[in-house]
Formats: sequence, C-alpha cells, structure tokens
Amino acid sequence: MSSKVLQVKELKKYFRVTAGLIPRPLGEIKAVDGVSLEIGQSEVLGLVGESGCGKSTLGRTILRLEQPTGGEIIFNGMDVAALNKQELRKLRGKMQIIFQDPDSSLDPRVTVGGSIEEALIVHGVADPAERAGRVAALMEKVGLEAGFAERYPHEFSGGQKQRIGIARALAMDPQLVIADEPVSALDVSVQAQILNLMMDIRDRERLAYLFVSHDLSIVKYMSDRVAVMYLGKIVELAEKEEFFKNPLHPYTEALLSAISSLRPAGKERIILRGDVPSPLNPPSGCRFHTRCHRVMPICPQVEPEFKQHAPGHFAACHLYP
Amino acid sequence: MTEATKAPRRISSGFNSRLAGYYWERLKKNRLSLVGLGFIALLALLGIFGPLFAQDPQHTDFNVKNLPPLGFSIQESIYDIKTDSFTTTTLPGRPDHPLGTDSKGRDMLAMLISGSRISLLVGLLATGIAIFLGTLIGVLAAYAGGWVDNVLMRFTDIMMTFPFFLLLVLIVFILGPSLTIIVAVIGLTGWTGAARLIRSEALSLRTRDFITASKALGASDSRVIFNHMIPNVISLVIIMATLSIPGVIMAEAALSFIGMGDPMSTSWGTILNTGQHTMDTAWWVAVEPGIMLFLTVLSFNFLGDGLRDAFDPHSII
Amino acid sequence: MTPSTRTPSSEADNDYNLNVMNDTVLEVSGLKTWFYTRRGIVKAVNGVDFALKKGECLCLVGESGCGKSVTALSILRLFDSPPGKIVEGRVLYGGVDLATCPTAYLRQVRGKDIAMVFQNAQSALNPVFTVGDQILEQINTHGGLSHSEAVSKAKSLLEEMRIPEAERALRMYPHQMSGGMKQRAMIAMSLSCDPTILIADEPTTAVDVTIRAQIISILHELKARRNMSIIFITHDLSLVSEIGDRAAVVYAGKVVEVAPVETILKKPAHPYTVGLISCLPDISTDAERLPSIPGSAPNPIDVPAGCPFHPRCPKVMDICRTVEPEFCQLSPVQATACHLYDTGVKG
Repeated sequence: MSSKVLQVKELKKYFRVTAGLIPRPLGEIKAVDGVSLEIGQSEVLGLVGESGCGKSTLGRTILRLEQPTGGEIIFNGMDVAALNKQELRKLRGKMQIIFQDPDSSLDPRVTVGGSIEEALIVHGVADPAERAGRVAALMEKVGLEAGFAERYPHEFSGGQKQRIGIARALAMDPQLVIADEPVSALDVSVQAQILNLMMDIRDRERLAYLFVSHDLSIVKYMSDRVAVMYLGKIVELAEKEEFFKNPLHPYTEALLSAISSLRPAGKERIILRGDVPSPLNPPSGCRFHTRCHRVMPICPQVEPEFKQHAPGHFAACHLYP
Repeated sequence: MTEATKAPRRISSGFNSRLAGYYWERLKKNRLSLVGLGFIALLALLGIFGPLFAQDPQHTDFNVKNLPPLGFSIQESIYDIKTDSFTTTTLPGRPDHPLGTDSKGRDMLAMLISGSRISLLVGLLATGIAIFLGTLIGVLAAYAGGWVDNVLMRFTDIMMTFPFFLLLVLIVFILGPSLTIIVAVIGLTGWTGAARLIRSEALSLRTRDFITASKALGASDSRVIFNHMIPNVISLVIIMATLSIPGVIMAEAALSFIGMGDPMSTSWGTILNTGQHTMDTAWWVAVEPGIMLFLTVLSFNFLGDGLRDAFDPHSII
Repeated sequence: MTPSTRTPSSEADNDYNLNVMNDTVLEVSGLKTWFYTRRGIVKAVNGVDFALKKGECLCLVGESGCGKSVTALSILRLFDSPPGKIVEGRVLYGGVDLATCPTAYLRQVRGKDIAMVFQNAQSALNPVFTVGDQILEQINTHGGLSHSEAVSKAKSLLEEMRIPEAERALRMYPHQMSGGMKQRAMIAMSLSCDPTILIADEPTTAVDVTIRAQIISILHELKARRNMSIIFITHDLSLVSEIGDRAAVVYAGKVVEVAPVETILKKPAHPYTVGLISCLPDISTDAERLPSIPGSAPNPIDVPAGCPFHPRCPKVMDICRTVEPEFCQLSPVQATACHLYDTGVKG
C-alpha cells in the first residue's frame, strides 16, 4: 500500500461569532468538528454534503488557509499544523486548490499567464523566460493554446477559465489537489470536458484529489472512495462500489434516493423532514436525528461513534452498534 | 479566439496595453464622457500653454478698466459735477481684450487661463492627497481586519466629524490666506469618504477566490495587497477621484470667494469674489468664471460617469 | 395525443376548439423574442414550438443561455419591452393570443391563470414584507375574498407546502426562513389564485439535494391534486426524469426536440439531445471517459446560419450549414428539427 499523501485526525475548525463594538461572544460555529480521513497517493476521495455541512471549510483548513482549532493534518508525513511560515510556504506548491466559481477564481486585472505564473514567482523561479516556458507547457497540458497567455479572464468562457485555474494549481507539481465543486458552475456539456481533463491529469501526474461536491452522480464517476459530511462531521466513508450499493447511514440513503438514477432498485424515494439545522446550534446526540427517517430513542441522547462496520466501510449511526 | 499565436517569451502579468485598449473602447461608446474628456484636455492645454500667448493677468491698466467682452457693450453713466447731470456713454468690447477686463483693467481671458491652471492644480493635488490617504487607510483596514480595522475606522469617523472649515479659518487667521493652505486642508480632511468606500470594496474583494488562490500559492501579504487588491481597487479609486475633483474645485472656489484664498491669485473663485460687487456695471467679471466652473465640473462628472460604466464588468456596453 | 399542431392559417376560435378537444391548455407556436441592443440583435428565443396539455408537466431543458427562461418570460410578456420584443409567433391561451393581447387582459391572466415561480427565492421575495403579507397581496390582486378568508387561504397554502407552524410562518420575513422554506413559500404565493398553469423557472437549482426532493414531491402532489399543468424549466436532465411527462429540448433559442421523457432518455433523435444525455455520468454507463460535446453554445447575438447546432454536431451535413431545419413529426409523440429526419411530415 503506497504511503498516505494526506492524513487528517480529529480536525476541528470553530468560528467564534461575536456581536458589539467590544466583542461579546454569541457562540461558536463548529464548521468542522472532529473529522478524520486519509487519502492515498493518486487516490480520489469524494466528499459529499449539502450547504452548511463544512466541506469547503474542511478543504481550506487542510490547506491551512484557515487556522485549525484542533486536530492534526499530516501531509506526506509532515505535520502541517505545526509548520512555521517559511516551511508552510514551501509546502504550498504541493497542496493546491481548484475553486468552484470560474468568474471569481481569476484576478480580472491580471493576464491568465500572469495568474498561472504567480506560483512560479512566489517559489523563486527567477528567470522570466523559464517561467514563460513553464506557463506555456502548463497551458497546453490543460488544453489551451499557449499564445492565449496574454489575454485576460473576461475573454474566456467558463470552461476555459476552469482550465486556467487547473493550470495554476498544477504549476508547482502538487501531490494533492482539493477540488471544491470544480464543475458545479459549468454547463453539462462542459462539465464532462473538465472532468475528463481532471482524470487525465490524475493518471499522468499521479495526483490525489479531495473532490468536494454536492452532485452524487459526478462523485460516483470521479471517486475511488466516498465520504459524506453532515454539520461538520463525517457520517459515512466507504469504497465507491460499496458506498453506492450498500449505504449504511440514513442520510446517505436519503441523498442517494433523491437522484432517481442512483436510487437502489425497488426502494421508495425518501423525503427528509425539515431543514438543515444551524451550525451555531447543532442538535444534541446524533446531529442528524431531527430529520432522520429511522430515528430511535437513543439518537438524541448519545452521539454515535464513527466505526468500521465492514472492510473499509465506516459509519456513525446507532442502527449499527 | 481563433487565431493561433505563439507562446510569449515573457509573461506580462498585470496591466498591459490590451487591457487599456479594452477599457478605452468601452469608454469611447459614451459620447458625453468623451466630450467631458475633451474639455478637460482643452483646459489642461490652455493651462500649460495658454500663459505663453495670453497677456499678463496681473498687469493692471486703469485706462481699459471695465471693458465688456467682444461683441457686447455696456452703458456707463458718469456724473458730471459741472453740468449736474449724467452723461451716458456706450463702451464696446475690444478685440485686444476679447473677454473684457475687470475693474483694475486686467484682461479677463488671461485671468481665466491662469485660473484654469490653479483650479486644475488644486483639484488634482488636493484630490490626489485625499485619495492616496483614503486608499491606504481603506485597504489596510480591510486587509488587516480585527482591531486594526476597528481603530482605523473609528479614527476615520472622528475625522469625518471634524469641522474642516473652522480649521481652515483658524489657519488662515494665523498664517494668512493662501492656496497651499486650502490644498492641504482639503487633502488632509477629505480622505474620509474615500477610505470608507475603498474599504468596503476591498472587503468584498478579500472574499473573492482569486485572493484565496494567491494565498494558497504561498504569496506574501504584501504581494496580495499590492499585486491583487490594489489593482482591483484602482478602478474605483480613479472613478472616485474623477468625481471628487469637481467638488474640490468648487470648494476652492467657494473658499476663495469668501476670502480665504490669496487675493492676489487669479483663481476663478477669487475673480468671482471681486466680480460679485460689480454685477450691474461689469457683469462679465462674475459670469465668466462662473461659466468656466460650471463647464469644468460638468466635464469631470461626465467623465466620471463614463469611467464608472467602462470599468464595471457587469454593465453591458 | 398529437403534441403540437401548427396551423398558422386557422382562426383563433378554431384553434380554441381544437385545443379543448385535444386537452391543450397552452400552445406556443413559432415564438421569437428578440432584444434590440446597441451591440446587435440578441435572438434569445428564435423559434419555439410546444403545446402544454392539462395536468401534464412539460420540461423545457437546455443549458445556460439557450433561451428557456426568456421563453417563460415571453409567455407572460414579463421581459422589458424596449429592448425586447416578440417579433413572431403566438402564445395561445383560452383562445387568446397572449403575445398580442392588450396589457389589461394580460394582467388578469398573470397570477390568476398562469403563475410563475423563479429560481432564486432570495431575490423573488420582497425582504421588507412578511411572507404572509406577500401572499395576501397576491390574493387581493385578483380580489374577491374578505380579509379573514384570505388569511385562512394563505395559511392553508403554506400547510399544503408542508411548512411547519403555518400561522407563525405567515408572520416571518424572508430572511428568517431557510432556503427550502423560501422556495416553498414562493410556490405557495404562486398558487394563491389557483392557477391553471404553473411555470417554474429552475426552482431547485439554488437548493440542496434533500430540499430538492421535498420540492419535487410537492410539485407531484400539486399536479395530482389540482390537475395543474406545469412548465418546468431546468438544465438538469436527471430532474426531467423525476418530474416530467414530456420534455422540450432547447438549443440557441429553438426547440430542437419534443417527446415524452422516456423517449428522450432512451431514444433521443436530435444529435444535441443525444450528446446531452451521453454527457451525464450515470449509473448505467460506468465509462472510462465521459463523452462530451466539443465547443460551446453560440452567442445569441451571433447565431450560426442554417441549423444553430451545426458547428458542434457530430453528424453535420452540408445542408445543415445553410438551411434551417423545420420542425417535423417523427412519430405521433416525438418531433424534432433536424435534417437527418426530414420526413416531409410537417409538425
């Protein structure tokens, strides 16, 4: 088994909410509340969840774009949370991110070549000719003509802007790329183009992805393993086949049943009650109990443990003691 | 997007002629703003080269005092002690003083030209100081956040309530009237509005993904501020500056009008000040600088509107 | 069961009788809505034909910018009138052509006969009024009920939408509600005058998957209980299979195919539909690579000559570049506009 590119242990990120001129604490948003996961080399881990579940915050905290409130982040054996500024900067090239919105992910006042080049400048590639050469190579890698480096983002389409974002992320040969809903803002026919590109790059560069998305059918296509997040916690994690054939957690069941093509044969569509609770005030015990269609008396009392129930298949639910 | 071009040897990353061309194309479509730009350019040319061709604005010649502009004439009534009656003569304008003269015989055209210099200089300088300070404070407050933001904004609030007019009167009282003082006071107190607006723009910029992307690449704070935040704020700054200049020019005119400015200078406000007393006998002394002020302010406003539309990515031009 | 019978020369009355017999409530034929801008003419809708039957849900499917939203707005003439204009075509409802009828008549139809639900509940609801006030406003526009009757109707509408504690919800402001609740409140508002037709413009795009399921099930119930016809606009083909009876595929402002949903998914005719369906990552195709359609959709200012899809079509022929294909029937239930199927039977 190849060594793990990323290991996250009990990662926590809380945001304090305050009010008033002299800040008075109102409470904490526990955006990420004890998440543990691993990603191996060249592996794609799909992370699914709805809005407010903390999946974007998780991605940013792993990259230390947000300071973790607790827990460990180990990248290629190094404890990322403990690094100082210099060391962290050196690491930055190896762990990258692709954003959801192609319109806001590129600086409108900078040429696309300049956006891609920035990583090279920051990491000390001094020779402008060398940088230009590398930028040209990167652009071709993502299927864009190198001559377009002089153009500005507004001259490109959404799909092309996403390609530029990918080229930028690849500039320093990263080993892990966090893809935060990379195709959600694109048209269906363009989505397929970008997903194919991402898979090609994964194969060629032996890259690992944390593929965050709310769209389960895309996650099914892209991932090797899938994890589900709800209100800051991971509720289920499994290999792809197992995940879609045999979901354990009721929330996963509901998510799958919401999409007809993924609904297991013969099962009824599950409609969850109510809305997602506020992360400022999560429900007691199992956070999902307020909407769960299989809730039991123990659920509001005790938080279920995240345990292995079948080889490689983890879930946090009282249905499976 | 179909022509294939070779890969460039060097990447030009920031503002280049392509972007400038794009914005210029957009600006050109707004006729009024082109008119405004044209007038301002004319004014600038006049201010720079005008004094070479015009007469000396300070030269007084009481023989030609109170001449009307060319094409107009004015009736003068002079009381004759000997005959105990008024003799009325009609005084026409003369081509060597095309816009007339004032009560001291100074040529109006020359004074207006030198006044344009003053107005533009004061406008640009005072606005420059104000906008520079405002941008610095605004961007810093937005980027740093936390207590730095708090402190800077409370400081801004206090400065906003500061009675700059009282300060001006006080300084003039101590040091005597002068344009430099006006420029300094306007500049040092006028930055507050800019700071607020630029801060809010910078705040919304801070959450945009490309800023996060830069940080994720390892860019230092100063790189993020100078290479990403400031260039994106510049368009707002330019628009604000363009739209503030008329206010500053008017402020200077008003202050000169009430006597805070240097009485020996020929700023439009000062001319207006002297002209207000002779509205019945020499109306042009007040009207001409008034028209100049009006046109200048209008031009800057047109230009500012056009710039705002040109820079806004969402407006369809 | 013929979907769309385009008979341009018949009288409106004749059409009305035909419609009643065919159970068609709304018939759109040859609709073209163009926007005259300084940059050129934006041909947002450039030839849309479909018919909506009573109690059915017709999905207008297409990618962003294809003109499906403008089509919906055109039915009720809700776009800005300069610069937009319906240059051609008819929208027949109840025997009247809504495209040309006087505004006073149109205002009676809006809300009462044909209601619309928008994508972004956040911007469609007025933030300074309570939800109850907004529903009441809708009810009172078409008059007839006393205040207490209107309030109880509003309450029952919210209950129909499965909004818990409807009394309290009436007094809430939009910002106090979650996304899903706002969406449901908006649907409740649109139902307040018991419309015959509900036009839903991407109502689930901005909403989470589990809330989407709630809203879809609500729409199902509405269809069944009220025998309401729904025009459901979306870019998401998987949604089409969940809620639609028939689907009309829109590309570059034209309807390129109309057929029952089963047929569209299993036996699509038009190459664009074929491409669109094969792009979807689906449970059955565990393919190594997702097929995709090269290129991107045309700018509505600059629509290609002939068939608008020809630059991207894998089956393009010479005729496609110059001649616009006509909309014709392939079978009693399926119609498409493509030179591959020039059957000569005009639809």
